[in-house]
Amino acid sequence: MKKRNDLWKMVSMVMLSAALVAGCSKGETASETAPASVLKDGKYDPPFTITIAKQQDENAGKYINGETLNDNVLTRWGEQNLGIKIQTTLLGGDASQYNTKLRLALTGSEKLPDVLPVYDTMLVNDLIESGQVKEITEDISTYMPDRIKEIYKQYPTTFNPVVREGKVYGMAIAPNLTEGEVMLIRQDWLDRLNLKAPTTIDEFEQVIAAFTNEDPDGNGKKDTYGFTFSGKDSYNTGWVSDPVMIFSAYTGKHLPRQWHNDNGKLTYGSVAPGNKEALAKLRDWYAEGYLNKELATQGAWDALSDFTEGKAGIIIGRPWLYDSVKDVEKNVEGAKISAYPTIQGVNGDKTYQSAQLNDGVFMFNKDFQNMEAFFLYYDKMYDAAFSTGDFKFGYAQGYDYDIVNDEVTFDPTKFNTPLEAVQGVGKMAFTKNTPSVDGPGQSYYDLANGVKADTGVLIQSASKDQTTQDGYRISYENRDVLLPNEFNGPPTPTMQNVWEQLTTMEQETFTKIIYGNEPLEAFDTFVKQWHEKGGDTVIEEVNEWYNQASETDVMTLMNLK
Amino acid sequence: MYHKTTGYRVFSYFNYAFMILAGLACFLPLLHLLAQSLSSKAAISGNMVSFWPVGFNVDAYIKTFNNSNFNGAMLTSITRTVLGTTISMFILTCAGYALSKEFRGRNVLMWFFIFTMLFSGGLIPSYILITALGLKDTIWALVLPGAFGAYNLILLVNFFKTIPKALEEAAFIDGASFFVILSKIYLPLSLPGIATVSLFIMVGHWNSWFDGILYMSDASKYPLASFLQTVVVQSNMQNMAMSQSEVAAMSEQSIKAAQIFVSTLPIILVYPFLQRYFVKGIVLGAVKE
Repeated sequence: MKKRNDLWKMVSMVMLSAALVAGCSKGETASETAPASVLKDGKYDPPFTITIAKQQDENAGKYINGETLNDNVLTRWGEQNLGIKIQTTLLGGDASQYNTKLRLALTGSEKLPDVLPVYDTMLVNDLIESGQVKEITEDISTYMPDRIKEIYKQYPTTFNPVVREGKVYGMAIAPNLTEGEVMLIRQDWLDRLNLKAPTTIDEFEQVIAAFTNEDPDGNGKKDTYGFTFSGKDSYNTGWVSDPVMIFSAYTGKHLPRQWHNDNGKLTYGSVAPGNKEALAKLRDWYAEGYLNKELATQGAWDALSDFTEGKAGIIIGRPWLYDSVKDVEKNVEGAKISAYPTIQGVNGDKTYQSAQLNDGVFMFNKDFQNMEAFFLYYDKMYDAAFSTGDFKFGYAQGYDYDIVNDEVTFDPTKFNTPLEAVQGVGKMAFTKNTPSVDGPGQSYYDLANGVKADTGVLIQSASKDQTTQDGYRISYENRDVLLPNEFNGPPTPTMQNVWEQLTTMEQETFTKIIYGNEPLEAFDTFVKQWHEKGGDTVIEEVNEWYNQASETDVMTLMNLK
Repeated sequence: MYHKTTGYRVFSYFNYAFMILAGLACFLPLLHLLAQSLSSKAAISGNMVSFWPVGFNVDAYIKTFNNSNFNGAMLTSITRTVLGTTISMFILTCAGYALSKEFRGRNVLMWFFIFTMLFSGGLIPSYILITALGLKDTIWALVLPGAFGAYNLILLVNFFKTIPKALEEAAFIDGASFFVILSKIYLPLSLPGIATVSLFIMVGHWNSWFDGILYMSDASKYPLASFLQTVVVQSNMQNMAMSQSEVAAMSEQSIKAAQIFVSTLPIILVYPFLQRYFVKGIVLGAVKE
């Protein structure tokens, strides 16, 4: 306190303004060491606060009923029902701002929040090394509720980034195998040209050729093309506008930009031999005009506008992509979109895609004592996913669901107080994405097989557009094509030096080949250089990390076996 | 138009053409934004809007002004700009007036100020300082750190120096004090300089976003520029693969356009009133006797 006063004197001298000084004398350190809260009948008394950091765009979407980040229907629910108040004390807009703020908080200038969701493997590593995060091996074993343990048991690799020397420093945020990608096709174009949806690469070529040359929209102009995707950041975007299917058709499980466990050894997909044939195909298609002319400059989110405008006929993405492109059905008369599975590879196998298992990891301030309370709260957040307890249907009546005439509805316009759009619960909950156990879309699969929609999850799924539902069903039926990236550790020492260069070289080579600016042989040169310029060392280091990560059996230590 | 040589005319046409193009380059993006803000969502996501609204509606504006975050951010920005400019100008005119006189140690002082122009503590020390001072989450964190800018000080000092010394001496003889001289003689005479520097500071405050994001742990305290930064940058994020809910919550292009448009209006409106001082304010300081 003494030091602060001195600083204040200096500041006030400079400011020459008494009013300012008065304005600044608040900001006392909040030293509320509450009397020990006790858990009684599932509720803490007196209530206490768990502070948390959050990466969230606070301005997308909005709160209703005058609520705010720290005072809304969910924080109030926690206080009333569990005696736990969740307070967000560190907020970052996008990923890089959030990381910057977390790093700044590490300088010790302020108290680190109790719970830290971290989305960057490098930062995970730095946090562990700073010694400021808690080891939670014991806590997981003791406090994690059984039904959540069951979930983590399914995804042991999600612990790889947070394990050091047999100690666990964090846990994945709501691990869950996410939905896979489907092929969205302009059904009206297929019908007009008497084509059927492609299932092999040759059929795919015929369809996109017809979409380009045979005037599928019937306006007499040659203003359409076959396939739109993004090649700006990677040829494996993993979510929307993804071309990875074409690569996988020739390389199987070796996807670009991804590590794959090939008989116990991790290999890097971009240098696999089949990529050359894939590039040759894309190069031909590009020359014929079947592809997006600007594919290398368009990000995943931009590449879909051609589809929405009615220029492109095929796009690949997660099933909900339909929501983002369905405007074409408004823009173009008669337009209709259908969802299909991705095509087969040249050897008759399915084509593969990258899958995601978790959205960052939870880490905890080393001074945070109440892991039991955290797990109590975390477990309740899972209620909506399991359709149990307070959140049987959804998180808050009148926000994300409502009961109208004894019927649960997820259509915001039918609410008792109709809303423009459904209230995104992630905005109020303590993580940006709420937990799910639906995997790649099991509820949609069940619905399609005639299961009655009687739980919250099923009702919600049943309220989606038919095309979206089809997409999820397809995604679930083909869930075996989802390949998680096997390397999820922090960048290795060599990676930190050369990875940026290697991926840039990769991206440039691929793009130049597709654009026809370099001969196909450039791929061989790239592979050679990739290995020479550090790739070999990276492979070695990555495998070393992989062996280490799977060495100690932390799952048993955490009682997750 | 006395020099009607061919060369002159060619130059003149070229000049006009160039200025018109430059003007369009500035104006068309704004027009595009306006058209987007008045168009329907479907037309925008299909990339069909150029300079004329497609599917005209004003929903985006209604939503913008119904968004309490937007209004709050607007208010924060206005407060910040007014407060910041006032404080800055108070400090700068006092310091500038003093430093335009000859006195011992003047050069040393000046050197100190210029030093800060060239070297800064960097992000982490600044952040620790602001946090330790307890300014975090208050408007002072936005206003105080940049209150004293050496560059603006130099502009003002040079401006004050152009005012004839005899004027000041005459006032002294009539019994005026330093403060009277500053407020009754120097300030009115250096209006162009003050207006220019004020405009610099104003625009600076209006546009700066990083400090807002850095020092505010609650988005309802963001100034407008930080608010827009989060809204606009969001759509370019590549790593949203996992976050379906984020994609769903993403604001529509038309709303973004409306927000950007509304947020540029105030500063555009202020500009014409200060513009007449502008050229004079910048140039005069540069002319030496």
